[in-house]
Amino acid sequence: MSLLDKRIVLVTGKGGVGKTTVTAALGVAAAASGRRALIAEVGGARRVHALFGAPESTYKVAPLTKNLYSLSITADEAIEDYILQQIRVRALFQLVFRNRVMGPFLDAVPGLHDLVQLGKVFDLSRQTRRGSPEWDLLIIDAPATGHGLTMLASPLSMMELTGRGPFYENARLVHDVFMDPARTGLALVSLPEEMPVNETLDLYARLGPYQRQVQLVALNELHPEPFGPLELWEQARGALSGAPGVDEALRLTDRAVARARRQRDARTRLTGLGDAPLRELPFLFRRELREADLLPLGRRLLGEPA
Amino acid sequence: MSGTQLYICCGSGGVGKTTTSAALALQLALGGQRVAVLTIDPARRLADSLAVGPLGNEPQTVPLTRLNPVPGGRLDAMMLDMKATFDDVVRRFAPDAESRDRILQNRYYRFVSTRLAGSHEYMAMERIFALYEGGEYDAVVLDTPPTRHALEFLKAPERMANLMDEGVMHWLSLPRDSFGFRALERGSEAVVSVLKRLIGGETIEEIAEFFHVFQGMWSGFRERSVQVRALLRGPNTRFLLVTTPAPAARAEAREFVQLLRRDGLPFGGFLVNRVVPTPTTSQALDLSGLPPRPPELPQRAWDEICAGVGQAMVRQARLASAEAPALAELRREAGDAALWTMPEQDADVHSLDALATISALLAPAVAELSRR
Repeated sequence: MSLLDKRIVLVTGKGGVGKTTVTAALGVAAAASGRRALIAEVGGARRVHALFGAPESTYKVAPLTKNLYSLSITADEAIEDYILQQIRVRALFQLVFRNRVMGPFLDAVPGLHDLVQLGKVFDLSRQTRRGSPEWDLLIIDAPATGHGLTMLASPLSMMELTGRGPFYENARLVHDVFMDPARTGLALVSLPEEMPVNETLDLYARLGPYQRQVQLVALNELHPEPFGPLELWEQARGALSGAPGVDEALRLTDRAVARARRQRDARTRLTGLGDAPLRELPFLFRRELREADLLPLGRRLLGEPA
Repeated sequence: MSGTQLYICCGSGGVGKTTTSAALALQLALGGQRVAVLTIDPARRLADSLAVGPLGNEPQTVPLTRLNPVPGGRLDAMMLDMKATFDDVVRRFAPDAESRDRILQNRYYRFVSTRLAGSHEYMAMERIFALYEGGEYDAVVLDTPPTRHALEFLKAPERMANLMDEGVMHWLSLPRDSFGFRALERGSEAVVSVLKRLIGGETIEEIAEFFHVFQGMWSGFRERSVQVRALLRGPNTRFLLVTTPAPAARAEAREFVQLLRRDGLPFGGFLVNRVVPTPTTSQALDLSGLPPRPPELPQRAWDEICAGVGQAMVRQARLASAEAPALAELRREAGDAALWTMPEQDADVHSLDALATISALLAPAVAELSRR
């Protein structure tokens, strides 16, 4: 079963590893397969639209390209949205929100910010159009590791905090969807360096019951190896050193070989996390990604020929 | 008044902030100072690179005697234990033992002290203030929590202070013997009924109890936050932005400096990590000048390796030029502010010697920061 057959995919990993790239690439691949896909950025992040040259994302769903849409969720908007759904009386809502103590109070309900944002994605996943789901796939560009996990666990936290009541019931609905491996998949993104790999393994361990939902491990920014027989480098270097004008090239090759070894090491360590395939993305020299770069990346993530 | 200098390292996730903070602290210690480095990072990477065991609230002294030459300074490392720090705050400010115990046992408090957004940042401020007040260190380096955005760290304490605002306290404090929330403000009964419908009556009561008891601690809390604010704006504090030459860094740098300026917070400069050094030439090596193949190496492997060596400069030049525009933009953005670049490292840093190598690269930054 392809990752694209889930209803929701949550992309997470340490900061700076390329979560947004992976999110956008999966979105483009889903759209290219004929699915209607929606990318949700959370915590007010607004980065995806720039890859498509689209206007800045807002809380309102807007198109990025054919079959692919995005929105940027902030906790404040999601709370407002949620409360309006629950009380259905705008006057009452105004009363609550115009109250100067309400904002700080809502800030103080643990996990509420995370939960309402997941709740928004949950709502979107249930929207229908002419009797069938409006969105085939929702992709969440989740916050960095640690926080990503907190967000995923936020329905459970709320259930623990409340014990019962209306909030408990709503949290449970969200929890049921995000905990269901048939409906929700996780994609972990990492870099081929020791500490990011450590953190990915640590995240995987801390996922506990959610481990079975990991459907993809993406290793980003792999550089081409300088040559294949890395294990012979020290021998060859001994023969080459001392030759005129090669010092700098040898030092740079030392670095390239060290990097290639770290990459191989990362690959070994990240292979076989549950049933999740490890997919590799190349380092792109042009740092500013464009839309055209994304489909090949998406295909690689799905294990299809780029 | 303490003479302790504070260096607050901000930056978004993945820029090497933890390592940079540790290297900065080490460089200060190598200069003979007594230094503490405080990390909030739950990944325990700092302990790795400082060659100490698992870190906690209690300072662990880094074995600087392993270095050659042995420096005159001292370096202590610690990791923020949020719950323990919050409990300390409660113990310090509680008016009596009964209030203290009621808070420590309140179910909502247990959530606040471990999971509430902003608690980490608030408690980090609390810790550095205590370290500052203690006066035991010449310098304290703070590695801020990993955020998507460098700025969030600066906003969090404000959020927490808003919550602790007197108005909120009054409003939410619920006399145990009365008919629910005080109607201090017009319409607050309606608000409470909405809250009860949304969240559930029992939870609201627990939260209200927390605030009720907390009220007795409020004045101590507020005094403290006024002191922390003053410290952060004072002459002993420097905010640093750790970043990389990635395209997104430019916007972040601009916003960061703007926010510091707006809030009157002292800016120390940019530390740009992972800069690819430009090679002396971008030309391929002439392979005809290479020595002959040693007989023990297979021909094919030798050819492949030589070709790889031949392209080394081309590869490096390509990498360096790929990031040059972003770096130039970052420099423009920095304007008059200090900007130090750090070359990309060969490997992750997780030994004291490796950290010392990096910290040496920070010597110019440390010299300039100490002068200002």
